[in-house]
Amino acid sequence: MFEIIKKTLQTGCQTTKYPQTPDFAPQGFRGKPEFIAEKCTYCADCVKVCPAGVIWLSEKSGEKTLSLSCCGCIFCGRCEEVCKPGAIKLTQEYELSAKKKEDLISSIGRKL
Amino acid sequence: MTVEDEIEIMGQRMNDKIRKIFGRSLHIREVDAGSCNACEVEVNSLSNPIYDIERFGLHIVASPRHADMLLVTGSVTRNMELALLKTYNATPSPKLVAAMGSCACNGGIFGETYASGGGVDKFIPVDVYIPGCPPRPQAVIFGIMVVLDKLEQKIGKKEV
Repeated sequence: MFEIIKKTLQTGCQTTKYPQTPDFAPQGFRGKPEFIAEKCTYCADCVKVCPAGVIWLSEKSGEKTLSLSCCGCIFCGRCEEVCKPGAIKLTQEYELSAKKKEDLISSIGRKL
Repeated sequence: MTVEDEIEIMGQRMNDKIRKIFGRSLHIREVDAGSCNACEVEVNSLSNPIYDIERFGLHIVASPRHADMLLVTGSVTRNMELALLKTYNATPSPKLVAAMGSCACNGGIFGETYASGGGVDKFIPVDVYIPGCPPRPQAVIFGIMVVLDKLEQKIGKKEV
């Protein structure tokens, strides 16, 4: 009995203070994928391998646009693996909630 | 001003928001509409001593008739479609709907097939999307913070 009380007191409060103080994801956590616009060659390798199909390439009047929607992304990191120039990286950001689906889309474009 | 200061201020603002809006409380009903159970495990851990959402007055309740918000997980399979609609109709207005996980957002890896509905927003109006496979408990708390603005609007307008 005394041992249990002693252990409880030694453990202390373990509850996170999350919304008041920011909580950073641990090393290796796979969060929001981000493009690096300068490195991208628009080869569309990531479009082919994405299991959820949330990356797409569109072409309009000579301008190529690569878009990614976090809505539906399973954060597997496959796009990061296949990207040869290293133009896509998974960050540790996890606060992605949005009221509209359009807010979750990020895209880069280049005139060719 | 450094980045750390900005984050500190943001955290403070969130805290004010919690006190102001959760002065009373928000009751959540969790609906499993064909999920793989990973999201359910995260919802379970929301009420454990580490995340402890009861300290904000957020409660997970056992009936949609007691709830203010539905937390829907899974891509809405054909067998769960009717159950989801019945749950939505049983919830008193004003009500909120949160789509938790990538499957609930737009079908995820299951997509839209004969058995999988492809997202909650094809059946009922969704107020907030919480992406993640599964989302961290912190991400779910953040999603609830985001949706609270919408609740204020709904009460203000007396929307059905």
